[in-house]
Amino acid sequence: MHLTVRHLAKAYGLRWALKDVGFDLPAGEIVALLGPNGAGKTTLLKLLAGLLSPTAGEIVLDSSNFSRSATAQRSAIGFLTPGEHLYENLTVRENLVFFISLYNKGGASRQIDATLDEVGLKHHSEEYVAALSSGMKCRLSIAKWKLLEPALLLLDEPYGVLDGNGIDLLESFLRGRRHEGSIVIIASHHVARVVNLCTRALILHQGSLTFDEVRQQPWESFTRAFGEFLPHGES
Amino acid sequence: MAEISKTSVKSKGYLGALALIGVLLGLYWGLLHAPPDAYQGEVQRIMYLHIPSILTAYLSFFLVFVGSCLYLWKREKRDDILAYSAAEIGVLFTALTIIEGSIWGKPTWGVWWTWDARLTLTAILLLIFAGYLMLRSLTEDENRAASAAAVLGIIGFLDIPLIHMSVYWWRTLHQPPSILRPDKAPWDNVHPAMLTALAINFVAFVLLYFYLLSRRFRLGEISEEIKARLLNRDH
Amino acid sequence: MRLLTQTFLLLKKDLLLELRRRESLMTMFFFGTLLLFVFHFSFDLVPDRVAEMAPALLWLAFLFTGTLGLAQLFEAERNNHCLEALLLSPMDRGALFLAKTAFNFILMFLVEIVVFPLFWILFNLRPWDVIPYLFLVTLVGTVGFCVLGTLLSAVTLKARARELLLPLVLFPLMIPVILGTIRCMETILRTGELGDALPWLRLLIGFDVIFLTVGVLIFDWVIEV
Repeated sequence: MHLTVRHLAKAYGLRWALKDVGFDLPAGEIVALLGPNGAGKTTLLKLLAGLLSPTAGEIVLDSSNFSRSATAQRSAIGFLTPGEHLYENLTVRENLVFFISLYNKGGASRQIDATLDEVGLKHHSEEYVAALSSGMKCRLSIAKWKLLEPALLLLDEPYGVLDGNGIDLLESFLRGRRHEGSIVIIASHHVARVVNLCTRALILHQGSLTFDEVRQQPWESFTRAFGEFLPHGES
Repeated sequence: MAEISKTSVKSKGYLGALALIGVLLGLYWGLLHAPPDAYQGEVQRIMYLHIPSILTAYLSFFLVFVGSCLYLWKREKRDDILAYSAAEIGVLFTALTIIEGSIWGKPTWGVWWTWDARLTLTAILLLIFAGYLMLRSLTEDENRAASAAAVLGIIGFLDIPLIHMSVYWWRTLHQPPSILRPDKAPWDNVHPAMLTALAINFVAFVLLYFYLLSRRFRLGEISEEIKARLLNRDH
Repeated sequence: MRLLTQTFLLLKKDLLLELRRRESLMTMFFFGTLLLFVFHFSFDLVPDRVAEMAPALLWLAFLFTGTLGLAQLFEAERNNHCLEALLLSPMDRGALFLAKTAFNFILMFLVEIVVFPLFWILFNLRPWDVIPYLFLVTLVGTVGFCVLGTLLSAVTLKARARELLLPLVLFPLMIPVILGTIRCMETILRTGELGDALPWLRLLIGFDVIFLTVGVLIFDWVIEV
């Protein structure tokens, strides 16, 4: 999976949410997408997921242009927002079976039990999603994408609802995807953890990309670029 | 950015002048020159307005259809502007048709309204136009409004022949078309001066329609231009 | 075929959800039955008048009941942005259209199969042997309603005042189906057989086929996040 974005822009009515965003991501990257509220992170993720149409620019997945109507390419894309994209009145298992069939991943159904065990939901497999806590719903989403194996995985603020155990689970899952050659993009405000996990960082500010670098140790340039967005007294 | 070109203004001016001449000629021919109808008397003269009105109303819907198809295919704003401009002018001409029909109906049938095939169909057309415009104005987000309206425009246009068939089969009180009779040639049962009056008025109405449409279209274009400038003012 | 497989998958999911909550079915069923009583009080249905008005009253009841069902059609996808989840996936948009149409049809069928005989019994209507023909016509009309209704339900999904707008745009376009089914049923009641009603039936079937095809082709442009 190779993702290239050129001159991507999105306007809502009379306001630009994203302006002239461009970057190039090879396979096997975990990208931290950072920036203050309203910077355009969610918009960018939704554009990459094909849920929104760009006002200008293009998205190229594996050398073919990606647009809203490119249905076949969608099986390679995953989008994880905690608490979303799960049917409340279906059970944990039924949700997974449904999405596996929808994505035509026939082989995965055998692995449902094993995956539920991995995310710690083995004893909840017959419970309705409505009865789960937000942390558990997030784990279910992780289980879902573990089974669907997307080549491009987009995450929007996954850290907020997870406990310590859940965070370890998430990060080992993402590292696993990276080793499979997938591209992972995480938008988050939990800067320390995400920067530690990532291989590259992008900073969005007021719709523009102000920083795009591969991770280094130590990372002076990043500290300088992101310093202004940290809360008072933090470094 | 499009600029208001001098030639464009001039050509609309010519169109307007032509339309005006056409309407005046049509009025003269219809009201003074053509003889009164053998059975209906003077009141028949309103047919010179009524028939061209309804024909332009249907022309209007055809343009809504064309604009809608083009918009869904190419996604160019001007096709959307064409569609809703045609819908607005179409509402005007349809309402005119109904009023003229009513004015004709009172002395002829003794009532302002009956539920015969043609009047009913015209009323339905008005409702469909109105629904289209309401959908546009009630849908949030411009692009979605344009797409939704385009789909409705296509569905509406495809439905109209079916609506015609069903209403005609059900009711046929309206006088049989005195000009378009399949067994006789059009000019056999109508006085030539009346035919000429009708022809002139038809041409005049079409000119008037296109004049109004071009003005409305231009308004739409200007509106889009303003929005584009507002959007790009600090880009 | 991929389209049909996905359609069945989505339909199964909707039926399973409906079986659990039974919200749509129950409200539609009660509403349909309630309308019969309202008609009785509004129209003073003495025995000899009922026979003439029966097709129209029945169809009005089904029309309003069906509109209730349409308003709730995408309800399952409203929670947790599940519609986004579907659009995100490699699902053929035409499959969503067919599945929702079929789902609404099944709900209406279940309501009609109860309300129809109920109506016949409550108003002491006489000819029982034509009921199969009448029911057939009702079904063909219901398909047309569900097809166009699903299309417009999706088109108005993001509009304000949706509950008002949907009937407003739907009813004028439904006129061929309304006229067709009622005239067809009247003819059957009058003549006791299908013969003279055939032209109307053909119109209904034509309507169904046209908009079913248009729906599958055009749904990609209709449904957006």
